[in-house]
Amino acid sequence: MRRSLIIVLSMLLAGAGLGTGAYFAARRVCVQRLAHDADDLEWLRTEFHLSEPELQRARLLHEGYLPKCAEMCARIAAKQQELQAALAAGRGVTPEAERKLAEVAALRTQCQTQMLRHFYEVSQTMPAEQGRRYLAEMQRLTLGFHDQFERSMSGDAPAHHGHH
Amino acid sequence: MNNTLSQPDDAKLSQLLREARPAPPLPPGFQNAVWRRLEKAEPPQEPFSLAGWLDRCAAWLLRQRLAAAGLAVLLLVGALVGVMDGVSLSKQAAQQRYLASVSPMSHTP
Repeated sequence: MRRSLIIVLSMLLAGAGLGTGAYFAARRVCVQRLAHDADDLEWLRTEFHLSEPELQRARLLHEGYLPKCAEMCARIAAKQQELQAALAAGRGVTPEAERKLAEVAALRTQCQTQMLRHFYEVSQTMPAEQGRRYLAEMQRLTLGFHDQFERSMSGDAPAHHGHH
Repeated sequence: MNNTLSQPDDAKLSQLLREARPAPPLPPGFQNAVWRRLEKAEPPQEPFSLAGWLDRCAAWLLRQRLAAAGLAVLLLVGALVGVMDGVSLSKQAAQQRYLASVSPMSHTP
């Protein structure tokens, strides 16, 4: 019985080891091969089945949008520093801090508007159905976070989040 | 002495008996069929014992063809699940890369 037990256990271990090894090796190879093509628009191409001309149009829009996005990010970062400085004075929420807060919020709104406009433009380069799906997905991914956050604050969140 | 004398009679008697009751010839493959039926017959039910079960498992696992086939199946299943997982991970990474490039404020689930 002891010998049989050793045989069964070692075969099970060998099998589990082999299966697990194959799993990790295959996963790693797959991730490395697919990550090798580090194009920002790769996801657009595969997820929305874009043809080469469609991808080229989306790329043009993408490259035109990036400098605007970077500029907006820089402005938000600068404004946030000003807000931090106003709050760091330790005098509470002063009118100055409140004004900076409103400016940061306005810049963020501007940034989001610009971003959504870009998404609409990109969606126009795709076939209608894919464009609709792209827009819905981008809105979910970029605006969804705020919705989720606000819902959790208002108590509409799922029960496991608890009450704040 | 009686035996020696009765031997020719016994042989005659046996032959007479054989001729009186001729046995029909056996159908072709009769013996094989009997063996097959014997092999197919269910073995008597033994009470369950862990030792017996382990012995049977070990004997089954030690059959080279079965062991090799089992390991090959595990290898294939592991690799297949790994590839599927890898594709899914890569897709997520690609999505995050795109999102990060267009929306610094984005949040990926």
